[in-house]
Amino acid sequence: MDATGYVTLSRLSGLAREMDLVANNIANIGTQGFKSQGAVFSEFVAEVPDGRSLSMARATAWHMNMADGPLSQTGGTFDLGIQGEGFFQIESPDGPRLTRAGSFTASASGELVNMDGLRLLDAGGAPVFVPPDAVAITIATDGTMSADGTPIGQIGLWQPTDPLTLAYAGGNLLSAGNIEPVAGGEIRQGFLEESNVQPVTEVARMIEVQRAYEQGQSFLDAEDERVRNMIQTMSR
Amino acid sequence: MKALQIAATGMAAQQMKVDVVSNNLANMSTTGYNARRADFADLHYQQYARPGTISAQDGSMLPTGIQIGLGVRPTAVSVVLAQGSLAQTSGDLDVAIEGKGYLEVTLPSGTSGYTRDGSLKRTADGEIVTSDGYPVAPGITIPSDARSISINADGEVYAYFVEQVAPQLLGQLNLVGFTNEKGLEATGSNLFLESPASGPPNVGAPGLNGLGVLRQGYLEESSVDSVLEVTELIKAQRGYELNAKVITAVDQMMAATSQVR
Repeated sequence: MDATGYVTLSRLSGLAREMDLVANNIANIGTQGFKSQGAVFSEFVAEVPDGRSLSMARATAWHMNMADGPLSQTGGTFDLGIQGEGFFQIESPDGPRLTRAGSFTASASGELVNMDGLRLLDAGGAPVFVPPDAVAITIATDGTMSADGTPIGQIGLWQPTDPLTLAYAGGNLLSAGNIEPVAGGEIRQGFLEESNVQPVTEVARMIEVQRAYEQGQSFLDAEDERVRNMIQTMSR
Repeated sequence: MKALQIAATGMAAQQMKVDVVSNNLANMSTTGYNARRADFADLHYQQYARPGTISAQDGSMLPTGIQIGLGVRPTAVSVVLAQGSLAQTSGDLDVAIEGKGYLEVTLPSGTSGYTRDGSLKRTADGEIVTSDGYPVAPGITIPSDARSISINADGEVYAYFVEQVAPQLLGQLNLVGFTNEKGLEATGSNLFLESPASGPPNVGAPGLNGLGVLRQGYLEESSVDSVLEVTELIKAQRGYELNAKVITAVDQMMAATSQVR
């Protein structure tokens, strides 16, 4: 194939990848604390034998949309929403993970865990223990947890030291290089942060990707037509 | 293109949400029923280019790389622990639990079940049983000549007799608490079973160790909030439609691919 075909192909494969991304965003429209993902295309300059250069499109990077999702009221004691900056720290077999999904429950041994059974860590990096005989557990906006009015611990908020190291780890978790405590976020008990996926934006992106893909296809068609005509004219 | 499978996981998730909502709405008038909620999490991510991959000879690296998620998975359908409102029934064996705790029921297999449905009945022999006929632990029998029954907040069951001024103590209804109530295994008929996730049962008298108290003559209504459920239903339906839209779009893109000569 000639260069025209390769250039269009580079664009098409990038678009197919972006479609996967849009599909993942839409699939996670009901996932707590989910942050939507966007793709970044860049120009990829390739050298061609006759000394000129050729510019192709490449999806090289993605970015995480860190906008807050809406907080919805659930009334659950261990449903915690974060307003503002910060993440909860979760202990995972692969090291500390960050999350904005605040749906926790007490485990059989009384420690707060997320829905995959991974432990929530407090402001000091230790598991959070809930006394089983407490009638009412309240969690203040700064994360101070009290059982029947007696403070028993503090749930901490954390952030990555370098925001660029933040990556998706699946299971509502994000991985980061080093993390540090952060001030400025407020914890809201009885609320959950919903997914920040904007249906309108995603549908618009989806249409855009689909049309651009079709455009690429008709371009390949036109190019094919041109080459055919050329061959026909030349061989006449 | 993985978008087809990704959208399919999204549709399956929204379908599950509709199932949970419809079960909640069906149990709007079930005594002692607590609403369930479906929780979701994103699936694993496929790494096309890891962050930090060296992209040029001078050592410059990709700051973020490319990660593409593979969709969504359900993580839990958990019970939303909320106190249902107490409805007055005036039945002498109707007991509502105000606060935490479950009544212990002896199942035909001999194991213990736990319930918040306090619409108790009596058998021909006077034994206190649930609506399904299972004896309520520890097993209290009401004498046939008892004039009336009184159950106080601490669970003590008293019988009054015609020829006797002082009431007679028949027994004590205990409540059972669990460290992780959401970990109980629901078996239908308003019954729950102990599971490894729930922790062992902590039996105690009502009003002690954080357990609730009993209210005779009341029943705990279902804690399903119909307005909330309907909004969840709308969200699930729209989410389902959006995922279906993705499938249509991908289908058209694939058709475009096959049209290329």
